[in-house]
Amino acid sequence: MSYLLRCLLLASAAAVTAAAHAQDTPSDTSVATVKVTTTRDPVDKSYRKMIKGMERFEREHAYAPAAGLRFQLLPRTPDVKMEGITLRVAGDTLSAKVPVEPDNSFVLPRNEQLLREDAAVLANRKTTSMTWRAAIVTPGLPAGTRRLGDMRLECRVGVEAGLVSNSSPLFGWLSNALTGADEVCTSPNGNYLFFAERPLFAVRLRAGERSETLPFHFLYAGGLPREELPFCDCQVLLDRTYYVPLWDASWPDDTLVEFEYMTDVPEATP
Amino acid sequence: MSTRVLFLSLTLLAGCATSNIPPGTQVPAERLAAAVAPGTTKAELLATFGKTQAVVFDSGYEAWLYQSPAGNGRFAEFVILINPQGVVTKTRKGPVSAPKP
Repeated sequence: MSYLLRCLLLASAAAVTAAAHAQDTPSDTSVATVKVTTTRDPVDKSYRKMIKGMERFEREHAYAPAAGLRFQLLPRTPDVKMEGITLRVAGDTLSAKVPVEPDNSFVLPRNEQLLREDAAVLANRKTTSMTWRAAIVTPGLPAGTRRLGDMRLECRVGVEAGLVSNSSPLFGWLSNALTGADEVCTSPNGNYLFFAERPLFAVRLRAGERSETLPFHFLYAGGLPREELPFCDCQVLLDRTYYVPLWDASWPDDTLVEFEYMTDVPEATP
Repeated sequence: MSTRVLFLSLTLLAGCATSNIPPGTQVPAERLAAAVAPGTTKAELLATFGKTQAVVFDSGYEAWLYQSPAGNGRFAEFVILINPQGVVTKTRKGPVSAPKP
């Protein structure tokens, strides 16, 4: 997402927040109130959209012909506990449990009744506490690397499935309205964020004899100002966050994305 | 209420127009290579080269970016990793490119 677009979204989101607070003030006695009994949590995902993402994976599998599709849950706020997460798909009359692996990845089953009932994919965690991504990984890659074609397909599936979790409903709505999968994943301004397994120091692309280190602004969400971090689903993963030039056709799908981490061995988490 | 909302939005938009991320401080590459290595302290960096673009992480680590003139108006990146104790643990040279505005 371009810097200007980010700013516009931030301003809009802040305005909505301010308006919401303003309606709570005693001076606004003439404002009618509406009781909202239920609301869809931004952590919850549309089953239909996620299935659309899966269908896109099947259509464009050529980007990653040897890889399968999983989805993955990632921390969005500092206090969220990422162990013991349970997941279910809930419709009006049917609910199905989805097994979650220890790395918080899962495969979403297809169920026609749940599709008809416009079910939601629900996790047992609080609003905005997690974000989601597609995980498409070609088996057998060297340690500390990824494959660019896998990531191109992850972006398409992830955007199609509506996985990116912004904290403000309007922020998210505008993001979706202005940036479809084809725009996000083929434009230098698409800025689809990826998360490495560990904090990053450098990211390099390698294709045959050609090798390039990505510029500094491809890391750490482009140096996003701290006041904007709460709006980004990279909030607690900032040191693992990076972009890759998905749009640059001069890098083939078999390009290896190599990571140099901040530390040679993982540091113990407190 | 509407005045307050409008003011907040305009303030944020004004900030968007004026608060671009500053580019890294410019330092000749040979000076960086001679003065910065694992073990150099953050205080020494500040005293020698001054503040520059930096990202501070919740872990206490910091990534600093200096830029070195590389001819034809382009600049080479020099990235420094500082640990929570304020000591340089890694450096790397980055690609040559035009500086961010």
